[in-house]
Amino acid sequence: MAWIETLVNGALLGGLYGLLGIGLALVFGVMRLVNIAHGEFMVLAAYLAVILVGLFPQVHPLFVLIPVVIAAFGVGYLYQAVIMNRVARAPDPLAPLLLTFGVSIVLRNLMVEVFGADVRGLQLGELSRASIRLFGLSIGVMPLLTLVAAVLLFLLLQWALKRTSFGRIVRATADRRDIVRLFGVKPDLVYNYVMGLSLALGAIGGVLLAVRSSFTPFSGVERLLIAFEVVVLGGIGSFWGALLGGIVLGMAQLAGLKWDANAGLLYAHLLFFVMLLIRPAGLVASRA
Amino acid sequence: MKGIAISYAVTAALLVAGPWLLGEGGLRFATECLLILAMAQMWNLLAGYAGLVSFGHQVFVGIGAYGLFLISDTLDLSPYWVLPIAPLACAVVASVIALPLFRLREAYFSIAMWVFSEIVAALVTKAAWLGGSAGLPLRSSRLLDLDWFEPVLFWIAGGLALGTIGGLFLLMRSGFGLGLMSVRDNDLAAMSVGVDVQRNRFIVFVLSAAGCGLAGAVSFLGNLYVSPAAAFDVNWVVYMMFIVMIGGIGTLEGPIIGTVIFFGLRELITDQLGYSAGWYLVALGTVAVIVMLWSPRGLWPPLRDRFGLKLLGVGRTAPTAPDVPPLAGKVGQLG
Repeated sequence: MAWIETLVNGALLGGLYGLLGIGLALVFGVMRLVNIAHGEFMVLAAYLAVILVGLFPQVHPLFVLIPVVIAAFGVGYLYQAVIMNRVARAPDPLAPLLLTFGVSIVLRNLMVEVFGADVRGLQLGELSRASIRLFGLSIGVMPLLTLVAAVLLFLLLQWALKRTSFGRIVRATADRRDIVRLFGVKPDLVYNYVMGLSLALGAIGGVLLAVRSSFTPFSGVERLLIAFEVVVLGGIGSFWGALLGGIVLGMAQLAGLKWDANAGLLYAHLLFFVMLLIRPAGLVASRA
Repeated sequence: MKGIAISYAVTAALLVAGPWLLGEGGLRFATECLLILAMAQMWNLLAGYAGLVSFGHQVFVGIGAYGLFLISDTLDLSPYWVLPIAPLACAVVASVIALPLFRLREAYFSIAMWVFSEIVAALVTKAAWLGGSAGLPLRSSRLLDLDWFEPVLFWIAGGLALGTIGGLFLLMRSGFGLGLMSVRDNDLAAMSVGVDVQRNRFIVFVLSAAGCGLAGAVSFLGNLYVSPAAAFDVNWVVYMMFIVMIGGIGTLEGPIIGTVIFFGLRELITDQLGYSAGWYLVALGTVAVIVMLWSPRGLWPPLRDRFGLKLLGVGRTAPTAPDVPPLAGKVGQLG
């Protein structure tokens, strides 16, 4: 029974991991660019949330998400407009990779210097500890809410990309950035919005993860690696695959921790590597 | 070519005389510079010439260091004699992990390398026989002559740095190097004339891992102590990458320029201005980002082209076309 509970909790954590991956997958899908600084931006969002909670103690911590997500969208828009668009056009795929890595190092060390290297966390009071009993299993309310939120966000994103004109523009830009110009679309502007959306999704993941476990300025590395593993496990380019990949990864991590308490992310990393060997195309085959 | 040989010989002579020219602090600093330069050249070989950006090269630094400490202590041999183990161990590991990793392309290769490094670091941290998170002291250090320890390390580091640069220079002038550079410049065209891209990448990956492992082993030999947090520190690859990014990716001169800027900036910010290492990395990263935005291939290529500089030019001049008399009379028909 204890093992089933672990797996269920792993699946709930996986919803959150899927959320970490989706922002990365979105940018990769549209711009063919892996934003190495994604993890650092998530941690930055978590710091912003901690600061806002400290400033407005009377507001429920979850409402802090609203200004944080808006700020993250703005930061993403500017990040793309000021820095990334200059290299997104380059035929050389190395340049954006190195550039985002450079940005991640700058952000990480800035956070160390500004916020200090102490461990931080986001407390939700009653909600963090609350749990319900389902089929004899004890399930945390917050992890359950997180999974529901992740699924809703996935549905919303899917709908936005499939059915709205913004989504059609984004998909067209992803396919042929040269052709969409003929229809009056500015690819750079689309990229700005996509990066903003990606960091906004990352901010939701970053803040919810900060509720679950503590963080330091160095946590960005872990978050990026999880996000990346989720995307590769799920199959590059598949959104629902990312959710599935997240769930598998979450289960592997919690099962590993139950077996070996100070393993950290080791078993999640190992599972990723084994999957790479036996199923390099991902759990859900990519629809190219 | 003659100029290169002379300056190479002068540099080698300076390195031999180094311990008498530099003070004790200066010698240690120079050793560090030379080792980082060798690592940066190895990372550049992989990224600049094979197009494989590795974010996990710290794993080879760690494996090289642990390999040296472990074998030297177990066999009770002088660490100097055990040094060749470090590149060998790294070459073996690299050729095994190339199998799954080479299925991934570009950024996915980069981060998968990083994940691999994290896995090895976590396993070493958990391994009691490797000292766990506390690390290992070099017990065989009593076999070393400590009076000559610093000069010998400096000579090894100098030999390594000069050896990698000389070796890469010769490699790039060989047929194999020509194949590498053609892939760097246009992989489709290179493949169409029969360059085996995957095989080249594999060889370069193994070479780069071995070189990094040797430099890492020498670096930790200097400390007489190794711990997983220091050996598998992601900052190793951050240093290599920033040096190459700033200096010039895919050139032999770039990492040399990058290393000078890297250490010059470090001395300026942490020593002269008294800021912390964190601010130093912020400054270095900002410089790297600005350089990338201004010139995506680093500082050296635009400098070279503007001033017509040639330091370690590996370019060749095309053989002049043989004198063929024009096909008189047929020109009109063809035209």
